[in-house]
Amino acid sequence: MEAIRNALDFSDFPRLDLIVAGSVGIAFIIFPLFPHSSFAMSTMIQFLMFSLYGMGWNTIGGYGGQVDLGKAQYVGIGAYTTAVMLILWDVPFWVSMPIGMCFSVVWSFIIGYPLFRLKGHYFAIATIATSLVLKDIFEVWDFVGAARGLEISPIKYHPPDFLRLIFKEDVYYFYVILGFFFLGVLYMNWFRKSRLGFQLRSIKDNEDVARSLGINVHWAKVKTYAIATAFVSMVGSFHACYIKSIEPEDTMSLDISILIALMAMLGGAGSLWGPIIGAGILIPLKSYLKEWLGAQAGMVGIDLILYALIIMVISAFEPRGVWGIVEKIRRRKRN
Amino acid sequence: MLIGMVLALVALGLTIIWGVMDIVNFAHGEFLMIGMYTGLLTAQGLGIDPLFTLPVAAVVGFLLGIICYFGFVKFLLRGPMVAQLLGTFGLMLFLRNLALLIFGSEDRALHHGILVGKSFDIGMGVIVPATKLACAGLSVAAFVAVWLMMHRTKMGKALTATSLNVQGARYMGIPTEKMNALAWGIGGATVTIAGALIVNFWSVNPFIGLLFTMIAFAIVALGGFGSVPGAFFAGLVVGMITELPGFWDFFTYTFEADWMVDIPMTSFKYMWVYVAYFVIMVLRPRGLFGWKQ
Repeated sequence: MEAIRNALDFSDFPRLDLIVAGSVGIAFIIFPLFPHSSFAMSTMIQFLMFSLYGMGWNTIGGYGGQVDLGKAQYVGIGAYTTAVMLILWDVPFWVSMPIGMCFSVVWSFIIGYPLFRLKGHYFAIATIATSLVLKDIFEVWDFVGAARGLEISPIKYHPPDFLRLIFKEDVYYFYVILGFFFLGVLYMNWFRKSRLGFQLRSIKDNEDVARSLGINVHWAKVKTYAIATAFVSMVGSFHACYIKSIEPEDTMSLDISILIALMAMLGGAGSLWGPIIGAGILIPLKSYLKEWLGAQAGMVGIDLILYALIIMVISAFEPRGVWGIVEKIRRRKRN
Repeated sequence: MLIGMVLALVALGLTIIWGVMDIVNFAHGEFLMIGMYTGLLTAQGLGIDPLFTLPVAAVVGFLLGIICYFGFVKFLLRGPMVAQLLGTFGLMLFLRNLALLIFGSEDRALHHGILVGKSFDIGMGVIVPATKLACAGLSVAAFVAVWLMMHRTKMGKALTATSLNVQGARYMGIPTEKMNALAWGIGGATVTIAGALIVNFWSVNPFIGLLFTMIAFAIVALGGFGSVPGAFFAGLVVGMITELPGFWDFFTYTFEADWMVDIPMTSFKYMWVYVAYFVIMVLRPRGLFGWKQ
């Protein structure tokens, strides 16, 4: 009960934040009622998925300050568990999603335990290496379709199928992921006020001091890594049902890991709203750039050039992200 | 083994930049890709042998490194680590897609040159292609040249001092800002030379960079961060690891071991590099020859 009350308690935010957040939340709920293109709908679903990924990354990367660039492997584990179980044994999504989360968490303990002996750049690159190893294995593993990947054919089922999460209209997917999104926000709100959250922030500020205060630094990091992993794996399972065709290149490539970290940084790592703001800026930007510029003849790659330039400008000039700017302005007003 | 010598040269630039500035350069493989295109286009445009394009590639790489430093990386240094990682990743995406825009996505390869098609038979059924041998020789020469520059000239010693202790080097009157730019210049030049060598036996497309970036990370981690001789030996080791599938096939056919046929070893070619990297990182984070923790 205490935990639930804590999760629902947003009272330490300024009133302006809450009004904005509440109205944005209501806007999400009533969004499908307005006329919209299917492109806008899929962008919206992508945005919600990536803000959940970003929230997961934010626990370890934002609050904990451990730059993890291997999150895509857990997207892959979640997506593949759900897809394999659905295709071979007809296991519903709501069962296979927790199983996928368990797999991811076990794997995260296996690699996280040795990995957290490393720090800084060394840790970041080692996470990339593990992710690439897993991708290489999945690309030759026949059981999961090797490099061709897996395809969930919707013909076998009768949409709307709420158990297996097979729908014809995107609206259903939108509401499912929106539910996950609100739960994710509540969880993160609880997490940042929990014991582990405070431990992590002290680890980020100064690891030696944290250790001298009696915090088990290594174990706190491993635990948080598992939490982040569970988040990412959950959305990975949803990804499998939503996209219906998964392959190692789509789900486990380095680009996804980087995008996840980038969103959290762009919005402001280590804050509750950061990953959501980051995803809200970056995902529409990316898909609209692709829509407008990507298909033009003789201009291949121009959308990604613009995208890369935006990344470079942000990381060079405003590495604390949008939320960092907001806080700077607020501090100036107060003084 | 021979490819390992070229890979060592690829990793040299990364280890210098890492040692001097403590920054990870994700765009390293993209520099290599630019070196490959430079070598290819100069050789085709001027009609000279690809092995003589190295000076052009070195100049291009040096300028590219300096431009990247003053135009972009300088600003990254103020930010936190995550910004540095993502910033160089942005640089990588930028260079890759610029190359895609300019050169198109198809594979290109060199088909002319005095050494192409010639090879030496050194017995035991081992055939060494002449291009690979020449490239390995030239990369060792470039490696030794950089090593001498780092240890025998005043400029190189200043560079080493900066990588050992930035604060101390600044007190000694070394312009660390210039040294950073120099590290990027040398790093860029060595890797573009390596690219101009690799293009002799490898076709090039805009997406080739990431593979080499990861291999270079593995070599640098194995050899120790910022260690020049370490990079050389680790390059040889990684070169041998990438040749492992060849040995696997060799044993399979020699002993007629049927169970070995079923394991698709060639698909795991680069996985072993990452596995070796991971193991070394965990067991000995400093690397085999490293002094920087």
